[in-house]
Amino acid sequence: MSTRGQLLLLWTTPVAGVLFLAAYLMFPGFSPPMSPTMTPEEVAAFLQANLTATRGVVIFVNLIGASLVPFFACIAVQMLRVGNSSPVFAYSYIICVGIGLTAFILADYCWGVAAYRPDRDPQLVSLLNDMAWFFFIAPAGLVVVQNLCLAGSIYLDARPKPVFPRWVAHFNVATAVLMIPGAFAILHKAGPLAWDGSLSFSLRLATFAVYVAVMFFVLLRVVQQPVESEGVLL
Amino acid sequence: MSESILAANPATREGRPWYRNRKLDQYICFWSVPFFYNLFGLVFVPLSWMMPPRSPTSDIADVIAFMQSPNLLIACTILTLAIGLSAVGNACYMVQMRRMSVSPVFLFAFMAGAIVGAVVGALFPMFCFGLGAFRSGYDPEILQMMYDFGYLSFIGSLGCFVLNWGMLGLAILLDKNNILPKWLGYYVIWQLMTEFFVATVWIAHDGPFAWDGLLAFWFNMVIYVPWQIIVYVCIFRAIRNQPENELRNARFKPGATYA
Repeated sequence: MSTRGQLLLLWTTPVAGVLFLAAYLMFPGFSPPMSPTMTPEEVAAFLQANLTATRGVVIFVNLIGASLVPFFACIAVQMLRVGNSSPVFAYSYIICVGIGLTAFILADYCWGVAAYRPDRDPQLVSLLNDMAWFFFIAPAGLVVVQNLCLAGSIYLDARPKPVFPRWVAHFNVATAVLMIPGAFAILHKAGPLAWDGSLSFSLRLATFAVYVAVMFFVLLRVVQQPVESEGVLL
Repeated sequence: MSESILAANPATREGRPWYRNRKLDQYICFWSVPFFYNLFGLVFVPLSWMMPPRSPTSDIADVIAFMQSPNLLIACTILTLAIGLSAVGNACYMVQMRRMSVSPVFLFAFMAGAIVGAVVGALFPMFCFGLGAFRSGYDPEILQMMYDFGYLSFIGSLGCFVLNWGMLGLAILLDKNNILPKWLGYYVIWQLMTEFFVATVWIAHDGPFAWDGLLAFWFNMVIYVPWQIIVYVCIFRAIRNQPENELRNARFKPGATYA
């Protein structure tokens, strides 16, 4: 198995970071995020007032979602090398990434459609906005299962020289736990658990950003292990 | 040589405690399946009362009352946290498909179906119902549309399941390693046929072909539930019967050194 291609793909991760930073600096209209207590008329008015920012963010977010896929793919390929009895955790991981990414991009498109014709009936604009948030929340649940799969596979690694260091498993369990409150944004319209709250929004995004950054450096080392003789595992 | 190593190390024989079982990864994932299906049942039946399906011809007042019931939001939250386990359940099938003598094309087509199925067959329909409950005051026509979208997507999503059962059934029948029994292959193909029955829910509003109808829903359910249990029992037997020397971690022996 060659490491060069993986290394190359891995460097799309900082690209995602740069895109995020660019979106944040160019279109700061979404910090703080919209409140779930806004009425349909307020949502429509907000979008009309922030039309350029919304459209810009929609385009950026689509690219950010896509540029994180090679990062997850690198993790999946390394999971296939881990000394488990079967590739079951790696397969679970890949399916989770597919579901999470689909939900994430659906969220983005709901906002995009809402901003495409902001003079639509405010009820429909609000419905698209709510739907966007639901789909934005959904990947939290998938990251939880995804990280637990990665952790499980590391804990059960039978290799004398494990593929991932053991602390990475603990780190994945910890980030999975911190992502859980994000799912409760569906139940709460105010307070820290609402979708603009400190637990559901700030903690979740911060956790995810730190997670991606730390795993990027972990993978930089893991990907460069000398494995030419191993062949490719599916 | 390897036999003597196995005999010398008691932990590699039946004396191994369960947490040292070489197949622990597969057993963990397998036992997440009953856990997930129980949660799934809880979410769709007693929590949301979305199942058994309400009538497509329900009175608009009933539709509004249902779409605004707060339990739908609890159901959405649980589903959001648990949907990843559907991936784990599907990965259990894929591991057995990987062991078969067939091309990986079956495996990857199945994987694509599993990803799409989780979105259109579970996450999206539940969100359609949850959105009505999240914000009171949506127009009745909007709630009616989400109601239709939710039920049609949940009951009428046949494409990805036809794909998945087609891939699984064909792989079992073509497999020369006899990983899963041949009769199960035929059984899976018959299950695939019942998926075609739901095609009519996109047209019929009442009667046996509607989404709450005798043929399109109940007939399918009666066939599906025992089928799903039998398939997973067969998967369990396949995990249990996999010879130790075939396991990917079998070559790593404690205390050995590797280059």
